[in-house]
Amino acid sequence: MWREYLFPRSIREALEVLNAHGGDARIIAGGTDLVLQRKQGTCAASIAVDISRIPNLDTIKASPNHILIGAMVTHGQVAASPLIRDHAPVLAQACGKVGGPQTRNVGTLVGNVINGLPAADSAIALTALDAEAEVTSTEGAEWQSVRSLYLGVGQTCVDSCAQIVTALRFRPLRSAQGNAYERLAKRRSLILPILAVAAVAEVVDGRYGDVRIAMGPVAPIPFRAEAAEALLRGRPIGKEAIGLAAIEAAEAAHPRDSVLRGSHEYRQAMVEVLTQRALARATEAAG
Amino acid sequence: MNASVVGRSVQRVDIRTKVQGQRKYPQDFHMEGMLHAAVVWSAHPHARITSIDTSRAEACAGVVKVLTHLDVPVNEYGINILDQQVLCEDRVRWLGDRVAVVVAETEAVAREAAAVVSVEYDPLPILDDPRESMKPGSPLVHENRESNVLVHYPIRAGDLDAGFSKADVIVEGYYLTPHVEHAYLQPEAGLGYIDDEGRVTVICATQWAYDDVHQIAHALDLPEDRVREIVPAIGGAFGGREDVSLQILVALGAFHTRRPVKMVWTREESFRGHGKRHPFFMRYKHGATRDGTLVALEAEIVADAGAYASTSTVVISNAVTFAAGPYVVPNARIDGYAVYTNNAVTMAMRGFGATQMPVGYECQMDKLAEALGMDPVELRLKNLYEEGSIAVTGNAVTFGIGAKEPLREAALAAGWREEAGHWKAPEVEPALQPHLRRGLGVACGYKNVGYSMGFEDRSEAIVELRLREDGAIASALVRIAASEVGQGVSTVLAQIAAETLGIPFERVRMSLVDTARAPDAGSSSASRHTYMSGNAVFMACQDALQARDDTLREETGRMHAQGQAVFRGRTARATTPLDPETGQCEPHIAYTFATQIALVEVDTETGEVEILTMWDSTNSGRAINPAMVFGQVAGGIHMGVGYALTERFIQEEGRIKTRGFGEYYIPTVLDMPRELVHVGVEVPNPTGPYGATGIGETTTLPTAPAILNAIHNAIGKWVYRLPADSETVWRALHERRRPA
Amino acid sequence: MPTLTMVLNGHQTSVEVEAGDLLVDVLRDRLQLIGTKIGCGEGECGACTVLVDGLAVTSCIYPALKADGCHVTTIEGLKTDGKLHAIQEAFIQCTAAQCGYCTPGMIMSAYALLSENPDPTVEEIKTSVSGNLCRCTGYYQIVEAIQLAARKLADEGADS
Repeated sequence: MWREYLFPRSIREALEVLNAHGGDARIIAGGTDLVLQRKQGTCAASIAVDISRIPNLDTIKASPNHILIGAMVTHGQVAASPLIRDHAPVLAQACGKVGGPQTRNVGTLVGNVINGLPAADSAIALTALDAEAEVTSTEGAEWQSVRSLYLGVGQTCVDSCAQIVTALRFRPLRSAQGNAYERLAKRRSLILPILAVAAVAEVVDGRYGDVRIAMGPVAPIPFRAEAAEALLRGRPIGKEAIGLAAIEAAEAAHPRDSVLRGSHEYRQAMVEVLTQRALARATEAAG
Repeated sequence: MNASVVGRSVQRVDIRTKVQGQRKYPQDFHMEGMLHAAVVWSAHPHARITSIDTSRAEACAGVVKVLTHLDVPVNEYGINILDQQVLCEDRVRWLGDRVAVVVAETEAVAREAAAVVSVEYDPLPILDDPRESMKPGSPLVHENRESNVLVHYPIRAGDLDAGFSKADVIVEGYYLTPHVEHAYLQPEAGLGYIDDEGRVTVICATQWAYDDVHQIAHALDLPEDRVREIVPAIGGAFGGREDVSLQILVALGAFHTRRPVKMVWTREESFRGHGKRHPFFMRYKHGATRDGTLVALEAEIVADAGAYASTSTVVISNAVTFAAGPYVVPNARIDGYAVYTNNAVTMAMRGFGATQMPVGYECQMDKLAEALGMDPVELRLKNLYEEGSIAVTGNAVTFGIGAKEPLREAALAAGWREEAGHWKAPEVEPALQPHLRRGLGVACGYKNVGYSMGFEDRSEAIVELRLREDGAIASALVRIAASEVGQGVSTVLAQIAAETLGIPFERVRMSLVDTARAPDAGSSSASRHTYMSGNAVFMACQDALQARDDTLREETGRMHAQGQAVFRGRTARATTPLDPETGQCEPHIAYTFATQIALVEVDTETGEVEILTMWDSTNSGRAINPAMVFGQVAGGIHMGVGYALTERFIQEEGRIKTRGFGEYYIPTVLDMPRELVHVGVEVPNPTGPYGATGIGETTTLPTAPAILNAIHNAIGKWVYRLPADSETVWRALHERRRPA
Repeated sequence: MPTLTMVLNGHQTSVEVEAGDLLVDVLRDRLQLIGTKIGCGEGECGACTVLVDGLAVTSCIYPALKADGCHVTTIEGLKTDGKLHAIQEAFIQCTAAQCGYCTPGMIMSAYALLSENPDPTVEEIKTSVSGNLCRCTGYYQIVEAIQLAARKLADEGADS
């Protein structure tokens, strides 16, 4: 496993340790993904830098314009948080589906984003929320959209041997923004989804305003059905608009044949079904 | 006189230690000076081995020995046919083949050194479909054979053509079942050592300690009394611990190093290293007359036997005897084939060839019911076995044939009504949303109890009594090597002993499975222990009581008495092998029946299936421990739900795609039927202890076909392949063929 | 070698570990607490569940040093003064164990639930063990046992 296990007391100290080891030291939060990678030999760094003792990383806070989620906040905390349930229920629902209770007690949202899988429930919801991640290095901290971090399956542009994502933030949803999470999986717990769709739909005077539809895994990175979103903007709400948007989303998604998840044909058909359902529920919840 | 012990849900004898985590499984054992061993697995599904170089591994610090075929005195083993090599010399035929074992001071060193054992291979063509590999001209998995067909069993009864000519309706189907993984929670582990009497001893979780001893002794070229096996606790088996897994390897390690050698498999090694349930490709054709009487059956079954024989010949012979289901069919033509491939070895798994068959015959029965416009319960009742019915193998089925009773009870519980000899299904309430459809499906399953087709079945028990001054029994010790795999055999046998001896349950102790101390009870398989070992214990108790009476009469002052007995299945019924041309025989000692009815809800847009209610009626003959019977029913349904909806061990060109629990999905608590209604039935087996028969396997046989029939009832389309996962159901709904 | 210091089953415990040790191996191999079982080593089955600061975790993927300074509870810690915990008694009464291999992890998940939610609904009970696989029982008797345990604990609390 590792040859050293360190507990820095501050972000600054953590960054110093990372830089001092030039690629051989890596951040660990909950470790639910990283431990497996070390076991499988896919993570070379031999020094673990555990950030769980750094103060104030495990909080969920409301600031004037954002909800902030610290780097050590777990899926379990988010699923149970009254703040998230009120202001971003789609995220609470998504986090409540990750793995099982034990995984949710330890695994962090930030860690899940860094792991870079398009099937990650929390990442799909964060993408629908237009969430941002604070990427911190010795050069400073910078907010980047979560979406822009993803490079490919299992890869983000964050170098966990030199950078730390210290927080996530997103704008809380207003009452005009209904949201919903739909998930299809081969069993009801301890499993990644075949497909999950997160929808946030703003409804103003009976018409769609800003709509965001995020889903995965249909591509190497979490996917926003932008053409479907554009199609809805300004349209009167209802079955017809939703149906068209769902078809549009399915055409834009290109999931491949997968031994475990299913054929391209089925997966694409499910994009239409789940998008339709997510939009219907989100529309109903708006207002 | 004490209240009856048999029939009460007494506390399991092993549960107190289990809830405290004190029960020791093989991986929990440590010994002074213990070494650790790791396997070098075959890197190819099919290849010639051209060289094995262990020098780099031997040079690793902490490595004590690297074992290869050169270190195995007699390099062959197998539960039936000795076609496997302990350590492969010149050929590998599946990824579960072992080429070397590294023995080292720590597990970490053993695994690191195993990674640097250098084996060179010459890959051979990979056969992964038995329908292809059975064709003449196919490359051979075993070159000493003429074809890859390991065995063919035909059954010919009556006159098939005459039968079909009488039929008013004919229905056909092609049914496919997958490889299934046992998925017991305890990965394989063992500890081999030399005991105080110089015996090569293995601590292991196994279904048949005596057979392991036989195979270890053969491989090490030792007399059997120089080999010993101890079974401390088993974390589930379901057939997967019937064949030896790592027993010979740790024995070999201890044999060579003269130190204790421990081996623990990872979950991935467990998936790789032990066999699977046979996939069956089943072609069925049934004929029936207008009134619902079955008149003809033609069936062909091709089973994927994998790389080595294991128990495939017995599984397929079993399968053909169950091909017609628990129904009277006077004219039948059944052919079963077990065929070698380079897929995983296929072996015993709960049902042993009787699990796949109901997927065929019960879906066929529903097809017939639909074609005839008959209620599915009524059609079945018309044809189900009764005491003395003639099976397709020409024998009369007897000993408490409770086939109809479970169907009646389950149907009534699920809302069927019987009016003037006709059965009427209940109205299924519609689902709450328009895209959801509900359906009800029935299935009957049946299984043999005890070994079959002439294979000698025996169980032996010794009962030792400690007497009080007044001659009363202070305590009893039952010595019998019956593996407690979780099914509850040690508790059932203790209850039978207490009942027979007339003493409180708490005064009975059960011995550990130790071949040096307890006599051979046969395997924990074939649903046989309650029946076979129960009878042995019953007889041994009676013998002990007689010995006690003699002791008292003779006034010797001895405070002990001992009884011993062997129960042989052939004293109840002598079974015979299938006739090579006609399959006619006396196949089984006794039979056990269950019916399950499923109420499902299908999401017609996604193909997802939820099971709202599962009704079960299993005939236990006599429920020795009702709470444990319920546990077997619920556990059997768990496996059946997985079989029906979520489980598939996937290989492509012999390479494993489902490496562990992250890719192979057994039902979680949230995937089980929302409600389980169990209506037990007790049609006694007059040859069983207190009328009891075995139920361990029967409880899983009707589940998947009941679900498939319920899906059809819900959506009007047949799903004929397992698992009926959401895509499979979606394709059936939308009539989209699977891409090639 | 670093030292792991924790309050283990109520006792202050210090043990030398390797930096890369996982909690399950420290418990089983260094501390000889074999009640915690390994079913998969990948956090996919729940057999290795223990509590760290009251939260159920899969100890097979939990770095040992992460538990430094924490309260750790294993199955061995449930008994008090030789008396079984109400959850253990309930499992016995409901015949909620067959092979017993998943049982310690199952009980620990139930213990985590009832410590925080003494009056759970059936749905909450099922969710609490939705990360624990069982191949033998079909889960019904386990859910029943946890319901019974909740009632027993409520009675015990009422009596005290």
